[in-house]
Amino acid sequence: MKLSNKNVIYLICSLLTMVLILSGCWDNKDINHRLLPVSIGVKKVDDQYLVILNIPVPIDGSMETKIVSAKAETVSKAVDTISRNMESDVDLLHVKLIFIEKETAEDGINDIIAGFMRSRDVSPKALVAICDEDLQEFFNNIKINAEKKGLSTYNYFEKNAGWNPDIALTRVWEVFRGIHSYTHDVAIPLIRSGKDTTMDQIGSAILKRGKMVEQISSNETLLYNVFKGESGNGKMEVMEHATVMLLGSKTDNIGRLVNNDAHMESLIKMRVVILETKGEPSLNLIKEEINTLISERYNKLFTKLQENEADVFGMGQFFRNQIPRDELKNWRSDYFKNMKININVKIDIQNEGYLKTT
Amino acid sequence: MEQMVLDIKKALGGNDDFFIKRDYLLENEVLLLGLNTLIDITKTKTIFQKQSEGLISQGKTSETIFILMGELFEDDTKKAITSILEGKLIIYIENTKKFIIYEPVPKGLNRSIEVPSNESVIQGPSNSFTEDIDTNIGLLRKQLTSNKLLVHSFTTGKNQKTKISLLFINGVVDKELVENINSLIEKNKSMDISNLQSLSKMLGFSSWDTISKFNTTELPFHASQFLKTGRVVILVDQLPFALILPNLLWDMFIVESDRNFPFPIMITIRCLRVIGALIALISPGMYVALVAVNPEALQIELALSVAQSREGVPYPALVEVIIMLVVLELILEASIRLPKSVGPTITMVGGIILGQAVVEAKLVSNLLIIILAATTIANSTLVGAQSSLSIRLFKYINVILSSLFGVLGLVVGLVFISSYLASLTTFGKSYLYLNIGRKEQ
Repeated sequence: MKLSNKNVIYLICSLLTMVLILSGCWDNKDINHRLLPVSIGVKKVDDQYLVILNIPVPIDGSMETKIVSAKAETVSKAVDTISRNMESDVDLLHVKLIFIEKETAEDGINDIIAGFMRSRDVSPKALVAICDEDLQEFFNNIKINAEKKGLSTYNYFEKNAGWNPDIALTRVWEVFRGIHSYTHDVAIPLIRSGKDTTMDQIGSAILKRGKMVEQISSNETLLYNVFKGESGNGKMEVMEHATVMLLGSKTDNIGRLVNNDAHMESLIKMRVVILETKGEPSLNLIKEEINTLISERYNKLFTKLQENEADVFGMGQFFRNQIPRDELKNWRSDYFKNMKININVKIDIQNEGYLKTT
Repeated sequence: MEQMVLDIKKALGGNDDFFIKRDYLLENEVLLLGLNTLIDITKTKTIFQKQSEGLISQGKTSETIFILMGELFEDDTKKAITSILEGKLIIYIENTKKFIIYEPVPKGLNRSIEVPSNESVIQGPSNSFTEDIDTNIGLLRKQLTSNKLLVHSFTTGKNQKTKISLLFINGVVDKELVENINSLIEKNKSMDISNLQSLSKMLGFSSWDTISKFNTTELPFHASQFLKTGRVVILVDQLPFALILPNLLWDMFIVESDRNFPFPIMITIRCLRVIGALIALISPGMYVALVAVNPEALQIELALSVAQSREGVPYPALVEVIIMLVVLELILEASIRLPKSVGPTITMVGGIILGQAVVEAKLVSNLLIIILAATTIANSTLVGAQSSLSIRLFKYINVILSSLFGVLGLVVGLVFISSYLASLTTFGKSYLYLNIGRKEQ
């Protein structure tokens, strides 16, 4: 159809009007009219949720931390209440951290996580952490310690800032996956406020189907990270004869089903640098020592996990093609619990330290 | 006086600079007709005398002498008037109805060949075109010594006579293109040509194109390189630049004198111009999108510092950007208009008033000033005044779409601009061709 000039003009005009009328652009709020909380704390009190927001507020060139809280039947209602009482609109898009109180986590966080995933207010990439003390107190301590550094809670977990390989990094979507997957659970960092530092990490919480069932130490969390393939770079291991620094690691897993019993072969390859030695141990001795240390730790951790039937390593993933789906839902109780795990650690000493000058 | 002279006098006699002078050529009485504002009479007369004496001494007959002096015509009043207006001297031989169009010594009305005023060259030939079309053709011939360089000239216009020349290299250029242009000029010969708009009307281009169909250059060196890659150059009398047809997208990013640098450096410089075009197109829109619609796309640190810099700004990001962009365009426009001696003042006023005071008065955020500076600087990296103006216009589409739909709108704007560019053709050649010459081979 060929349009006449007049019709083209009408068409353009009506399209322009539609763009203006239908875009809803008047609802856009400029960035300075939004409050951007970095972290959000959730705690269940009776039947209500207590929501605490940590909002960095720029005042005269420096960041100040503002803590606001509200109690309501649901998390979004509580956020809404805060938003109503604040001078700007609360925008959860920049939330990087979600703190959940330990008691709440032990009761199960399925509803909270599902809510975050559903509303999409909070990015699914936000990290989840469990707070091992009263949430209100925790946030107050953060405020005191983080004075003038509004982003310290966020930097603590940032890979290019304060993160360490023995802190678990678990995102909202991973927790959500853990709730619904037959074969995957997650570990979540366990945090409390520190005396001198903003936060102290005391280990990780094991979440099984959205419920906290067990607690593991920082050292065990390192294994969790190494197994997951997160960099373990820079982590020290102290042994009887030497101290080594971990440079990197890689894990190869083979899962086999023998007589309906799960068997797992894990080969962990680690690259290390020797930092300190006592006496003059041979390289083989050092390798042996690391090997024993790591395998022992792994075995201990696995026993703990098997007792709790929580598959944080996602071992079940390797059996997904071998177990029928209707049996897979019993993975945790039928298979994982009795799984045989054989861990081999292969150590590559890349550098004996910077002693030789050639 | 004879009828023809009377006719010429009737047509031009109202001008005070029109002259009729009596003289003798051999035994014939002749009348010299012309405009003394275009002809240096004294010098012309001297040369005229010398030339005729020389011919007489060789014993030529008057008939041959007439032919040797210039072009001989008979009873063509119209031709005579046109020639006078073009600055020729008419030698009218009385009682014969014949006249000679004689090439006089012209008044020095042309400036000399200078360095270009709008296109600066870092390393490369820096002669530039002048207003005189013959000088310009000469400059091109000097750059491109080749027997394949062809020049077609036309005189167009009804009320205003303008000379147009079409230059191309035979064998390299697409024949169809030349034929098309030739026939269009031939067809619309009666149109008055004094600017590019009338020329594009003559060549049948839509007057609503936002991207010029012509690529312009002031440098004979660049024009000659374009000729070598199969383009057509059009020269218009009194326009001190060459028009290159067809204009292609890639011309925005390349300057022929780039090739005077080592190859890697040339690539880097050209990449820089591409980045410049993108920054000029995207950055104001990006600011609006990120500040007003999609702040989640920013890093939290950045988001907080942007929020802080906008604290107290009384209007939405779109209004803020539009106000500052308009002020900036005003400065750009004013600095063209202003005499050179006042130019630095505007720079100072613009720099201090806009840069400092506006931010301090919290009328705009200081991030915006950075964005604007980046936009303007980036825009200036583009080659050719025509193209950079188009980019300057296109960025507003992005700003408005961004304010409506955020980052998505920005991308839609870019897609829209790209599809518009892809829709442009000049005589069947798409605007997005990289190099039409290579295509033909």
